[in-house]
Amino acid sequence: MPAAYPLPSDLSPVTVANTASLLRIIALALISGAAIASRLFAVINFESIIHEFDPWFNYRATKVLASQGFYEFWNWFDPTACGVIYNLLHALNLPVDIRNICVLLAPGFSALTAWATYMFTKEMKDESAGLLAAAFIGIVPGYISRSVAGSYDNEAIAIFLLMFTFFAWIKALKQGSAFWGTIAAVFYFYMVAAWGGYAFITNMIPLHALVLMLMGRFTGRLYVAYSSWYAIGTLSSMQVPFVGFQPVRTSEHMAALGVFGLLQIVAFGQLVRAHVSSKQFQELLLAAVISLGLIGFFGIVGLTYKGWIAPWTGRFYSLWDTGYAKKYIPIIASVSEHQPTAWPSFFMDLHFLIFLFPAGVVMCFRTLRDEHIFVIIYAVVASYFAGVMVRLMLTLTPVVCVSAAVALSSLMDTYLDPTEPSVEDDKSETSTTHSTGTASASRPATPATSKKTKKNKEKEKEAAASAGGVLSELVSNVTSSAAAAKSATTTERGVFGMDTRLVVLLNSLGLLLFFVVHCTWVTSNAYSSPSVVLSSTSSDGGKNLIDDFREAYHWLRQNTAEDAVVMSWWDYGYQIAGMADRPTLVDNNTWNNTHIATVGKAMSSPEDIAYPILRKHDVSYVLIIFGGLIGYSGDDINKFLWMVRIAQGVWPDEIQEPNYFNRGEYRVDSEASPAMRDSLMYKMSYYRFAELFGGQQPMDRVRGQHVPIQGPTLDYLEEAYTSENWIVRIYEVKKDDVLGRDLKIANAFNQGKKRKRTKPMSRRKAIGA
Amino acid sequence: MARRWWTLPLFLVSALAPSFSLAGPAFENTAIVRTIELGGSLVHVSTTYAVKALEPGQTTYQIALSKVERAKTSWLEAKVKGQTTPLKLSEDESSAEYLLSISLPKALAVNGTLNLVLETMQTHVTHPFPEQAAQNEPQLLKYETDLFTISPYTTLVQRTKIKSIAPNVISYTTPHDVDSFVRDGSVTRSGGTITYGPYHDIQTDTDFVAKHQQSVSVHYSFDYPVIEVETLRRTAEISHWGSNLNIEDKAHLHNAGPTLKGHFSRLEYQSQNFQRKQAPHILSDFTLHLPPGVTNAYFYDQNGNVSTSHLRTAPSIAKGSKAVQYSVLQLRPRYPVLGGWNYSYTIGFDTPLQDSVSYDAKNGVYMVGVPVLTPIPGTVVNDAEVKIILPEGATNVEFVSPFPEISNSMSTHISYLDTVGRPAVTFTYKDLTYKHTGIIYVSYQVPLSAHLKKALSVSAAFFSLFAFTFMARRVNLNLHKK
Repeated sequence: MPAAYPLPSDLSPVTVANTASLLRIIALALISGAAIASRLFAVINFESIIHEFDPWFNYRATKVLASQGFYEFWNWFDPTACGVIYNLLHALNLPVDIRNICVLLAPGFSALTAWATYMFTKEMKDESAGLLAAAFIGIVPGYISRSVAGSYDNEAIAIFLLMFTFFAWIKALKQGSAFWGTIAAVFYFYMVAAWGGYAFITNMIPLHALVLMLMGRFTGRLYVAYSSWYAIGTLSSMQVPFVGFQPVRTSEHMAALGVFGLLQIVAFGQLVRAHVSSKQFQELLLAAVISLGLIGFFGIVGLTYKGWIAPWTGRFYSLWDTGYAKKYIPIIASVSEHQPTAWPSFFMDLHFLIFLFPAGVVMCFRTLRDEHIFVIIYAVVASYFAGVMVRLMLTLTPVVCVSAAVALSSLMDTYLDPTEPSVEDDKSETSTTHSTGTASASRPATPATSKKTKKNKEKEKEAAASAGGVLSELVSNVTSSAAAAKSATTTERGVFGMDTRLVVLLNSLGLLLFFVVHCTWVTSNAYSSPSVVLSSTSSDGGKNLIDDFREAYHWLRQNTAEDAVVMSWWDYGYQIAGMADRPTLVDNNTWNNTHIATVGKAMSSPEDIAYPILRKHDVSYVLIIFGGLIGYSGDDINKFLWMVRIAQGVWPDEIQEPNYFNRGEYRVDSEASPAMRDSLMYKMSYYRFAELFGGQQPMDRVRGQHVPIQGPTLDYLEEAYTSENWIVRIYEVKKDDVLGRDLKIANAFNQGKKRKRTKPMSRRKAIGA
Repeated sequence: MARRWWTLPLFLVSALAPSFSLAGPAFENTAIVRTIELGGSLVHVSTTYAVKALEPGQTTYQIALSKVERAKTSWLEAKVKGQTTPLKLSEDESSAEYLLSISLPKALAVNGTLNLVLETMQTHVTHPFPEQAAQNEPQLLKYETDLFTISPYTTLVQRTKIKSIAPNVISYTTPHDVDSFVRDGSVTRSGGTITYGPYHDIQTDTDFVAKHQQSVSVHYSFDYPVIEVETLRRTAEISHWGSNLNIEDKAHLHNAGPTLKGHFSRLEYQSQNFQRKQAPHILSDFTLHLPPGVTNAYFYDQNGNVSTSHLRTAPSIAKGSKAVQYSVLQLRPRYPVLGGWNYSYTIGFDTPLQDSVSYDAKNGVYMVGVPVLTPIPGTVVNDAEVKIILPEGATNVEFVSPFPEISNSMSTHISYLDTVGRPAVTFTYKDLTYKHTGIIYVSYQVPLSAHLKKALSVSAAFFSLFAFTFMARRVNLNLHKK
């Protein structure tokens, strides 16, 4: 058998197996290291701090868990990993700060994700594809975006749970093992407790089972795997307080239940068929199966109409109709990560994997085993969802990594394999060549055969040399592969010579290197800035930190009453709860639209309408974000239209979006519409802002507009604190006037008195006269 | 006549100091000059006694302080004028007045004279008046003290100078009924200095205090924030393996000046800064002098790192030699601390262990010196707790505090990779000032086995892990071979 380059021949199979195993362990360890290290940009560039808005809630919940124990915490419901790790480390006399555990949890789990992806891909193809997939998922920006150090978010854990559940499912399906089915169920349970996106698994696995059944691939193994997963997984998920009886009452979970029922019927049919041989009876059975399935389906539809089963929630509809959310639930559309994905972000998040991804799916079609069908379904479904919502890019990333790894590893296998097709050799030998070529893991052959290979290779070399130059080899290669597709009898398929191999391998190596460079660049530049701390570069190249959020939150924490309620737009709810330790009116977990609309109304109404709302909800402080001074564009004036829209959804008579525009333009300058100028948000944002410019024309650096020199006045609120760069402004809600006057009148009276003192007498008389 | 302040000492002194009870007074004060330097939370008082002996062989001179004054005095030191070594003091608090006995360096002959200086540091003696001030208003404080300096001996002439840093003194009390002691005027003011006296022939008369003692107050403006550190928890952790001494301070700072009237306006604050006329009661930053050779300094609070601090380190110096340079840590709290506001923070730093630990090879004893506190200029620390964590397995722990502590205790602290925990000594103090920067010395022994404990336990843990995987890989739990 000819070979392109020599392989060592004097190795025992045990040595080869051990070395391969050691190399795999080392490779996995290095991948884990790279996965963790690339997520530490944020910690190194800034500090060990929890980013974003959501994670602060988890951080607080974890603190409760760590200090008060598990049962106290169950009422809170949230990921428990951190608390467990915290207690474990403390039991081992490693007093690590809980904040650091929370910050480093996501990178730690990303290493586990790499391992789970390795296991999953191993089931798809082999270990080498698994290692590639692990390396991809370890550093791919699409996953890093959700799991940098400090993003103590549920998604960071969820992807590991997702991959491991799928791996356990595939394993259960392959082996027909109730054990693996149970493991899948246990991880599914954890996923349910950790992330709302568990519905993805709830529907993916039944879909896979259904497709297998429709393809006529029903087996006892499928039955065992699915039944064990569904029964245990559903029962345990119902223990989570947040889920409760949803698995039997909501549409999202109906598919799993339906497939479970169908599976029972099909299994029963199989059982009967095994015992009855009449062809007619089989047909009858088939009809019965179909009719039962239809009855079940219509039964579910009927129950939904009756109201026994909750219909799909709005969040789900928005997955099918991208315009739905904007029309009916502005609160969902107001979140930037719920917007449809832009094309460049696919490349940004996945780089060259997005090109390899279809190739990998095609590879799955070539060897269409049960698990490959899973990957194909996953690829189709996740691609669709990723196109609908930026956020769901996260669920697409693992399958892209897996299929890209399958594709790339097939390519590498083909071009790394030293065996060359023997032109003169007879048929029987070429068939063995093929078998070794496809299974690269079994490539290291026994000494006897490899010796033979060596001999053959020398022979082959001579033959190749006699046959002609490189070009002819290439040509023959191409023609042979083309010809082979038509008829296998004429020439051999395969790769000839080192140069062809090198061209392809160096090319893919280059791609891989560019991938690494791209991932590092994207991670360090786009995904590693804690949104709590902003950084800017000064003219001399130094780094300036803008730390207004923490400044204001710390002030709230230390200098206000402990039970003072703070009202802010919901984005900052968790941060206020976490960093300022004060109750808030609405936060990131508020799904009650009316509550958020109430805040929206208070912010968009004039002071005298907003004041009763504030008093009614016992609000002591109102916190807003204002970026006009330093040009921080994520401020509340830019989010203001969403507040208006959400408030309009509940009070269409009082708040109308068009009132906030001046002839279709969103303006904050002297041309701003009256509704805009009177709104609490506008007044709080620009209160005394103009005075900062000392008579000059004040400039809002975000909107790029000149605001009026005469700034707004406040009667019902008082400025309590403004941070260094004016990003966070906190206002105190005035208590009722001691004399029972309206605050506006009281304020006017006070100012009138002041004017009496300061203004010259003669002028006052003139006015009086 | 209530002979309050003289009878009781006599009564006691008869038991303590025979020289007192036998004959008349042993000394006479030819002059007493008390100088009070007004501050915010600290007031520095130095009193000079010109002493003349009336009897030979006297070695103990007594100084009296009123009980109230003693309660507010957190630090005192007596010296012979012009010398640097402090004299030995013994306190007697059982009488109505507080008596300090000073051992003189040598016995005085009859008519021999000596100038003694008593320096005290008073804390919590000023209070803001008015109690509220808006952001752009000045900070006015009030200080009260007794008019006469009391002494068990007759005083020929005494005066009290009260000095304010700013010349802006709003008002001061004019004493009444002092005509019998006064020859020129009872009080004079020049700039920021108010001088009470000179008052002549203050007798040690029994009814003197009841009859003539009166309180005088000064209302003055003070241009620096009045800062109190309400609690300070210092932890010093010694690591022989890391050759490192880590010191960490958790402090809760409070601006004890007039509380803010109305609300904080950033605009006003910024324009005040712009015009360089910052309101006196706003603390926007402060400076700490850390020991030379510090590394890894950190400054954080509940919300993480405070990004507005600067550290200039000085190189490490040989142990025992006097530091010429200090590492300067400039801290800016997240927000300016206005009157009545709080700010809590944590700072910490590492210093090389050889700068503070010495080893006596003969006895195998380590000796570590840990400073009690790193003072913030012009502040008082109300409650301080200093915890010194010794290496794991340290035995024969002995310690000495530079000045008397309120309490001390031993405990066990468990940290990274510990098996049995580390012994820790905790001291508590009250009302510390920049005068209390002494060093706590702790001596201990660490046997070699204790040094090796950590390494052995870690390697044992790893060994058992490897052994477990080694076994687990070779055990086959399958019921039947496939």
